[in-house]
Amino acid sequence: MKESKHSILSLNSLLIGYRAGRSKIPLLAPLNAAAEKGELVAVIGRNGIGKSTLLRTIAGVHPSLGGEVIYFGKSIKDHSGPELARKVGYISTEIFRGGHMTVYELVALGRYPHTNWLGRITRKDNDKIVGAIEMAGLAGFSGRFISELSDGERQKAMIARLLAQDTTVMVMDEPTAFLDIGSRYEILHLLHLLTRRNRKTILFSTHDLHTAISQADKIWLISDQKLLEGSPEDLIINGAFSNLFETPHVKFDSESGSYIFRGEESTSIYIEGEGNKRLWTEKAIMRGGFSVSGVKTDPYISVPGMENKKWRLVSQASILEFDSIYDLLKRICAG
Amino acid sequence: MISGYLKTIDKIRKSKGISAGREMGIIFLSLSLILIVLFILDIFLGSVSISPSDVISAIFNGSDDNLSTIILRFRLPKAITALVVGIALSISGLQMQTVFRNPLAGPYVLGISSGASLGVAFVILGLSSDLVAGGIGGLGNWILVAAAWAGAGTVMVIIMVISSRVKDIMTVLILGIMISSGISAIVTIMQYFSNETLLKAYVIWTMGSLGNLTSDQMSVLVISTSGGLVLSLASSKMLNALLLGENYASSIGLNIKLARSVIFAGTSILAGSVTAFCGPIGFIGIAVPHLARIIFRRSDHKILLPGTILLGGSVMLASDIISQLPGSEMILPVNAVTSLIGIPIVIWVVLSNRKYSGLF
Repeated sequence: MKESKHSILSLNSLLIGYRAGRSKIPLLAPLNAAAEKGELVAVIGRNGIGKSTLLRTIAGVHPSLGGEVIYFGKSIKDHSGPELARKVGYISTEIFRGGHMTVYELVALGRYPHTNWLGRITRKDNDKIVGAIEMAGLAGFSGRFISELSDGERQKAMIARLLAQDTTVMVMDEPTAFLDIGSRYEILHLLHLLTRRNRKTILFSTHDLHTAISQADKIWLISDQKLLEGSPEDLIINGAFSNLFETPHVKFDSESGSYIFRGEESTSIYIEGEGNKRLWTEKAIMRGGFSVSGVKTDPYISVPGMENKKWRLVSQASILEFDSIYDLLKRICAG
Repeated sequence: MISGYLKTIDKIRKSKGISAGREMGIIFLSLSLILIVLFILDIFLGSVSISPSDVISAIFNGSDDNLSTIILRFRLPKAITALVVGIALSISGLQMQTVFRNPLAGPYVLGISSGASLGVAFVILGLSSDLVAGGIGGLGNWILVAAAWAGAGTVMVIIMVISSRVKDIMTVLILGIMISSGISAIVTIMQYFSNETLLKAYVIWTMGSLGNLTSDQMSVLVISTSGGLVLSLASSKMLNALLLGENYASSIGLNIKLARSVIFAGTSILAGSVTAFCGPIGFIGIAVPHLARIIFRRSDHKILLPGTILLGGSVMLASDIISQLPGSEMILPVNAVTSLIGIPIVIWVVLSNRKYSGLF
């Protein structure tokens, strides 16, 4: 395999930041990281830490202050514009409105680095464009104006443009930021599909930790001026997430892989039962500021199961029954 | 007239069985016909009524009477000038709207024409009394036109620097107006210190006209705008990429600096050449590209550029016909007519901004 020798993409002591006059203002310490073919890489970090600048630098639309971005063993600086554009494509957070531009015209712009100086669309280009539109789930949308699309459809059109650009690496800055939940999952599903079926390497930044942990093959975690890379599981186990967003009010729960509100955690309660109902009862209890105990407590909760249809709060003195978690939690919180 | 045409186009568009390519073909064909008809009308109609048969015999027989003098020496060159001016201003407007991603950009509004007139003022008021209007000929014309290019190019660069820092469209427009005012203040001071003959020559120039060009000037105008036009047509791929904004444009492989240089050169040559010989002519550059977008409903410059060429020529020829008030002895300044045609379109663009804010 020719590819196995080099990573598709690697960062070699990359220094990102801005220039102000003659002085350099670096945002992070020099970064080292890599991504392989077909990997979905989530870039995570606090707002303003430099995620966007990092992605822009990798995409080649922003100059680096030092070090190298390397594609297939060749530094980004040794690429011509069109040559680089055939390897990496980029979607920013900027919302593109493009009034009189149709979906087809937008996607056709992805062929830019492949066409001649007049930008003539050949039959092969046309096939790629139509294929990209279908792959992105926009079949039948070719003639629609960008301004008439919903946010989710517009983002799909932007992704179709990247597909038509036919790059190995796709860089997306918060591709799901302004989308409702439905479109958010559709886009994530599409990204997943592209890495699996089309073997694209996709780098995307997100604030949605839950998706990053459940979907990404690799996470680039930026905190304390440094970049940590690894599978989500590795990073959870070595405690990298705990340092990231934890505040006096929020903490990372390494069992569920998500952030939870810190309650008082004064009392812990034992839960008896199994399955879906147990899982959500646990969540409710934690939301209420309690923790789940490993040993039987007084009182303890019994989740609906074979014998009983209701939630029970069992203490030595009494057994109370509840129709819903809502009622149960209200009682528990009342003390 | 325009709305009638739009309705017909809409009908064609909605009728089934017409492919997109065919639809574009129909629009291009009809616009070409309109352009040819307007060009002929511009020759036939004028302050002196001449019957069509006389016009034809004057053109083909070339008899040396008064009629053929009017046709060949006056009306034909004027019609050609109108055509060239309309095309040049509209194309420069289209390019500026795309580069600045601003639906209200145009050579007149952003002060590019003022920049060109400053160049002209330097030549006419500043250089020497040999270059008085009428006496300008030969090399002098090229000096005049080069000064206009330089002035236009300088203002383009200033506007570019401003709009790379300020993203707000309206702020850039206001600054454009400030630049125009600043330039006219400088010109006023220059006028104050110049002598009477030069002053008169300059004032006559500022009135703007399509009909006062000598044949030398005509050829300079046609040659330089052809050059500008070639640059513009060659930049259609770059212009398409710039529709995405500079970040995306560079991410798909566009060399931004090269693109800007080529497009700015084309725009400055087009707007500068016209301004050098015909004075500042307003609102064609800003209005016609919108007309093209409305009619073609595309953003692809491979369609918009030729479309704008056809429409720009037509609108300017129509303005010229109207300015002559056919059948009457009076002639209106053409600048007034283009403003009256262009301003409603601009107002419409501003008012429908909610729908067309997505223009870029």
